[in-house]
Amino acid sequence: MPQQTNTTTRASLWPGLLTMILFVLVPYSYAAFTGTPQPETSGLARVHSAAESIYCVKGISPVTSILLIELAVLLIVVLWAWLKQGEPGGKTAVFHQHGWYLFTLALLIAIPFIIAWQTNSSPCTRGKAFFWQSIYIDVFILAILALSYNLMFGFTGVVSFGHAAFFGTGAYAVGLFMKHLEWPWWLAILASLLLGILIALIKGFVGLRIKGLYFALFTLAFAEVFFLLAGNRIMVNITGAEDGFTFTVPDWLNMTKNRLFFYYLTLTFLTLAFITIYRLMHSPTGSVLSALRDNEERAQMIGYNTFHFKLLAIVLAGIMATMAGILRGLALKGASPNVLGLDFTMNPLLMSIVGGVATFSGPVIGAFMLRLTEQLLRDSIITIGTLSLNIGDHWTLILGIIFILSVMAFPHGIVGTWLSKNLHTRNGWITLFQRPKTNKDTFVQSSHPPSSTKHKETS
Amino acid sequence: MGIVLQLENVHTFIGQYHILEGVSLEVPEKSITVLLGRNGAGKTTTLRSIMGLTPPREGRIVFRGQEIQGKRPFHIAQLGIGYVPDYRAIFRQLTVAENLRLAERKPGELARKLDLIFEIFPDLQRLYHWPGGQLSGGQQQMLAVARALVPDNSLLLIDEPSEGLAPVIVEQMMAAIRSLSDRTTVLLVEQNFYVASHLADQYVIIEDGRSVQNGRMSELVSNPELVNRYLGAA
Amino acid sequence: MTTTFDSSPALRTGALRQSLLISALFVVGLLVINLLFFPVGTVAVVLLSGLYQGMLFFLVAAGMSIVFGLLDVLNLAQGSFFMLGAYAGFAIYGALPEGTPTTVRFVAALVGATLAGGLLGGVVEIALLRPLYVRPIFQIVLTLGLATAIEEIVREIYGPAGLIPIEPPAALDTTFGVFGAQFETYRLFIIVVGFLLMVSVSLLLQRTRLGIIIRAGVQDSEMVEALGINVRRVFTLVFVLGTAVAALGGMTAAPFLGAYPTMGTQFLLTAIIVIVIGGMSSYEGTAIASILVGLTRATAEQLSLQYFNTPILASVSALVFMVIVLLVRPTGLFGRE
Repeated sequence: MPQQTNTTTRASLWPGLLTMILFVLVPYSYAAFTGTPQPETSGLARVHSAAESIYCVKGISPVTSILLIELAVLLIVVLWAWLKQGEPGGKTAVFHQHGWYLFTLALLIAIPFIIAWQTNSSPCTRGKAFFWQSIYIDVFILAILALSYNLMFGFTGVVSFGHAAFFGTGAYAVGLFMKHLEWPWWLAILASLLLGILIALIKGFVGLRIKGLYFALFTLAFAEVFFLLAGNRIMVNITGAEDGFTFTVPDWLNMTKNRLFFYYLTLTFLTLAFITIYRLMHSPTGSVLSALRDNEERAQMIGYNTFHFKLLAIVLAGIMATMAGILRGLALKGASPNVLGLDFTMNPLLMSIVGGVATFSGPVIGAFMLRLTEQLLRDSIITIGTLSLNIGDHWTLILGIIFILSVMAFPHGIVGTWLSKNLHTRNGWITLFQRPKTNKDTFVQSSHPPSSTKHKETS
Repeated sequence: MGIVLQLENVHTFIGQYHILEGVSLEVPEKSITVLLGRNGAGKTTTLRSIMGLTPPREGRIVFRGQEIQGKRPFHIAQLGIGYVPDYRAIFRQLTVAENLRLAERKPGELARKLDLIFEIFPDLQRLYHWPGGQLSGGQQQMLAVARALVPDNSLLLIDEPSEGLAPVIVEQMMAAIRSLSDRTTVLLVEQNFYVASHLADQYVIIEDGRSVQNGRMSELVSNPELVNRYLGAA
Repeated sequence: MTTTFDSSPALRTGALRQSLLISALFVVGLLVINLLFFPVGTVAVVLLSGLYQGMLFFLVAAGMSIVFGLLDVLNLAQGSFFMLGAYAGFAIYGALPEGTPTTVRFVAALVGATLAGGLLGGVVEIALLRPLYVRPIFQIVLTLGLATAIEEIVREIYGPAGLIPIEPPAALDTTFGVFGAQFETYRLFIIVVGFLLMVSVSLLLQRTRLGIIIRAGVQDSEMVEALGINVRRVFTLVFVLGTAVAALGGMTAAPFLGAYPTMGTQFLLTAIIVIVIGGMSSYEGTAIASILVGLTRATAEQLSLQYFNTPILASVSALVFMVIVLLVRPTGLFGRE
């Protein structure tokens, strides 16, 4: 599908372009026009301080309006592209194929400012907007983790119960390298990623020998070893045992100080992870991965070395999950054994299932739904007769119940169910809007197929 | 002569594949009826549909005046249908005795039938305490048929009893099945035309999931053109 | 009619004999390590506590392994039934009036916990697992969610701290000496209970009609159904038996370990190790592997206490044991390809 790859490439340029304009060009020209607030600084620091003076304004600001206008324009363009999709030329292909993704991205870029505007607080200093940014940072990190889990579980069919091993390794390693070895941030991150790849390779090669459920249990045990070691008193001088440890990060990476920056940093990584998976699954390699999931023996018989493909999926997922862990470590400036615990295997699994296994946006939607619901319900109290329940205190229980219900009644998740239910309706709408029947197939293709999860008919 | 089993326009899907696209047939009492057809025509699926293992999506299956489509397999079996699948499905970890005991529907049934079983399949007597996994193909086939004889079944569905067996054993198997036919009704799937023509009283030809032809076996044997058309060289 | 049977060929095939040999060698190896490092009295205690741990693992793992063999469902909530058994036992023990003799309260707690575990297992199988037999992976995922939910509910009702162990009958609440070291009688009681269950489950599998059905169903449950057996009912029954045994195990352990919300996960992980080493669906494998894992853990615990002053090696050793077994024999010690 050369055409599709092409449009994805163009689509992937968009977030980069937007970020460039908003966070480099605008502040830089502002700095150039108004004279720098701090003349002695130069380069990036200058841009940064200029950006601060533009964006860190309390309440409604010119930036908010710019962002809102940007959103509106994007929405109109997407709608226009959708209506014009039948026409040849293909200029609108990016929009009508990826319109919703781009719109969501634009919305996420704007969200800190919208919240600041709505709560009349500054996005750069302590306050409501600041607080919500940290929630979104958490959501993004979990979404990366869920995307990575879905790549293994949903798209490749490799069941693993040990994803926390990657996540925790990322969080621990980056901190330990920076704290004990006093490595600079980039070296620590790089080394942690390499460690993640190493773990992925070990798992991959073991997976060559151990199959199916045995592999899933192997990964569970693998993660558990890490959990036990990290939390043990023996390691108290290194990992701080049960309490975990903290470390210091450079100021610009410090989430407490530069939260807005950290927000965009995690958003960038989420976008990257999404695009990587999207492109991977639309490439020939992706088709092999799906074939592997549906029937490994058949894929082998056709002549694919399934091991290489599986290894690729595990390593890619490993890198993403480790990166999520690194971001988490940096955000909290510390790590404790719970990042290696079952929670961080359960969470991505649950998010994938709630959102939709083997769909692109499912895990992200799952992460948003669950984490934001948790936040919104944190302090709400339900009173039934004399019994009053604080939802926040019971969140894990509620999660467990959501988990069971969604597995039982909702196995394709939000996205999967929506897709299969609406494919029909949407096709109906298209035929209404479309004059000639020329390009109908492209549109149907552009939406990912209804998730074909592990639903096996017994034959 | 009553009709024991009657299929009316049965349609069966496996996953999304439409395997049976309308099978109708009748099995008269105390006789042997054979299902003929090429590989993949849907013969095994017909038997599995009767058993409820691949439940039909459309059509009627009437067994002794009772509609059985949509019932669970164990229920269908309890009504008096014995099933011998083509892969024999001998439980390898169980001994011959345990394999037979598994088929009991009422306590003591096996004890009553044991003499009969040993009479038809004398081999099983000396192998009585062997694990099923150690039996040869022919012995496993005998055990599979014997297992269907333990309860009082009024219909036996036997899938490819001669497949992969040595000619001597095939003859033995044929004798055994023939001896069953005055006791019970048999619906047979058989690729081997020699076996089919010597055993069966009636035939039904299935092609591409449809029943296309039926009649008395003797008529089919004397009609080489028909044999050629549906079954290739006989 | 002559009734001479051919003598049956050895049921113990080469592979099984090999697995048994490996296990025996492993035990001998552990024994040698023990004798090298510890005095005789400590060795005896280590072996006994290995057996005691092994029996508890067995009580959790037995149900998991049989259910997995028959239903292809790995019940990751099995540990929660173990924990629930302990809590149910506590509840019953506490509900009986103060004056009741300890023995009566104790036996009532044991019986009640077993019944409660079985009952809940039945509900779970019928309401939650049955609709999902067409989606095996989701069943496993579901039991994982169930484990979380059960743990949280217990935390909700009883608090996170756990309960103080209940008092066992006086006769069991003593210690006895082995080669100069002391060992609690109650732990011996656990070993006996475990051993009795091991034997009775084995008899159930080998001698009864239900056992025949289970062993046949492990190979081909469709054919069992085609022989006129209501396989779904057998599934439920087996699931109920498995959870009941786990709950009994939890209650048996309670006077020694107490009851706390995380004990489910803790025992689940070791039980998983046990059934993986045992070969997932092999009952003999599970029985032997649980003892092997128990002995390994006890030895490692003693070593690690002696040299590092922490029991960390106990958990790690079991995991390492499992990884090694998997790498050498990817389907476990007693597993079949």
